[in-house]
Amino acid sequence: MAALSGPASWRRGWLPALHFIRRGSKAVTRHWKAMHFQRQKLMAVTEYIAPRPAVPQRCVAPRRKEEEEEEEYGYARLLRRQVEEAFRDNRLIAVCQYNYLPGEDMVLMRHYLRKHKIEVKFVLNEIIRPVLSQSRYKNLLPLFVTRNILLVSPETKVKEMLRVLKGVPQVNLLGACIDDTILSRQGVENFAKLPSLEASQGQTLGTLTLLPSQTCSVLQHATVHLAALLDGHIHQLQAGAGQTGSPAGTEPAQSTGTQ
Amino acid sequence: MGWWRLGRPAAARGGLGGSAVPRAGLKKFVLPPDYSGITIPERPKLKFMEKVPAVPKVKREPRQLRDIRGPSRVATDFTQGQYGILALGGGYLHWGHLEMIRLTIGRCMDPKNMFAIWRVPAPYKPLTKKSLGHRMGGGKGPIDRYVTAVKSGRLVVELGGRCEFEEVKPFLEQVAHKLPFPAVAVSRQSLQQMREEEEEKRLNNQNPWTFERIITANMLGMRRYLSPYDLKLKGRYWGKFFLKHRV
Repeated sequence: MAALSGPASWRRGWLPALHFIRRGSKAVTRHWKAMHFQRQKLMAVTEYIAPRPAVPQRCVAPRRKEEEEEEEYGYARLLRRQVEEAFRDNRLIAVCQYNYLPGEDMVLMRHYLRKHKIEVKFVLNEIIRPVLSQSRYKNLLPLFVTRNILLVSPETKVKEMLRVLKGVPQVNLLGACIDDTILSRQGVENFAKLPSLEASQGQTLGTLTLLPSQTCSVLQHATVHLAALLDGHIHQLQAGAGQTGSPAGTEPAQSTGTQ
Repeated sequence: MGWWRLGRPAAARGGLGGSAVPRAGLKKFVLPPDYSGITIPERPKLKFMEKVPAVPKVKREPRQLRDIRGPSRVATDFTQGQYGILALGGGYLHWGHLEMIRLTIGRCMDPKNMFAIWRVPAPYKPLTKKSLGHRMGGGKGPIDRYVTAVKSGRLVVELGGRCEFEEVKPFLEQVAHKLPFPAVAVSRQSLQQMREEEEEKRLNNQNPWTFERIITANMLGMRRYLSPYDLKLKGRYWGKFFLKHRV
């Protein structure tokens, strides 16, 4: 910073702005070069101010992004298809709540149920809920809340199933869908008390054929009754008019022949 | 049909106050990444860089520190690889740095499944140094070494191949910390995200007064205290430093 005399410096082309260039270090330094105070003020004024929404972020319930996991998983699609098939192919579908069962007890229960052709399926609520809501089994939706198992069977052997489940206290029957009829627990127990299909069919047939079987006897009842009365009458007359002779006996015989 | 609570799923979700009860759901099988279009070149490792160029310079060059200042205009985007080291400040890389990069990456990467390429040239700029213990004067010193100039926003090395960012990140970060300027390991996605965030920040800035606006209009005569280069640098660069938090 040379001390320049007043008028001589202007004549040499000295400008007040150029004064700053000769002062201090170069523009690019290894250390952090100290900024002019005015520049510091400018940097402070032009700092970034973040936007502040009217409702703070943490007061708004976060919207979970669930779109990407809906149809992307082929595994989920496969499980859904399996569930649909199970509902289609089986007549008996019982929904039970599953509490933890030790391994060997589980195997035993499955074995006993398998003997009656009942299969045990574990289902995930997140798979079965969309399947049910789109099919006609919407009323089964409230059952699928906690850990569930499905007992499916092509035949309806409810009595045996109830017997097995009674022996396993950790599995509770919630409801069932038998032949597209939704039944509660009470309904299932009542269903078990019903006689079997063959017996009830036989009973119905018997009731129905009861009346036709009586038609014949009803129609013939009057004539048979009359014949019996007349026979009795004959016997009476024969017994009473055996002493008076045979012509009295032949007249009623002729009159009965003309009738 | 009603002794269990139907509101159970809502409580399990964990609303404003309570913590969510973790429940086992369906396992989500993520497909492995698809590396079908990737070929590993013949020499996957970084090639050796010479300390001195093949034709050494005779004439000594002025310092020209403007090759450190400001944003980079070359090598700012990925070419072949997927991951790289981004410089966040300006500086000079000399042979020692380049050897360190080459050896560390060569040691940590798998040549069968990964490849690496240089995005900086071999040292070309001669730096002079006067011998120790002498007073000022006596002319310019002889050429001492050669360096490569790197501006901020430039990629130094690029890595690619059949690998994920998490595999590559540890040693890239290790290298990035050893460089003479601040650097960070990036992937294509993370770089794009960085740029998008910067853009978003610039757009949703609530401050009506920006450096650019003040300097272009020369408000309050601020250009008296600012350099003409600040018109381009816009307050994000100061010397060789890149001010990431600005704007």
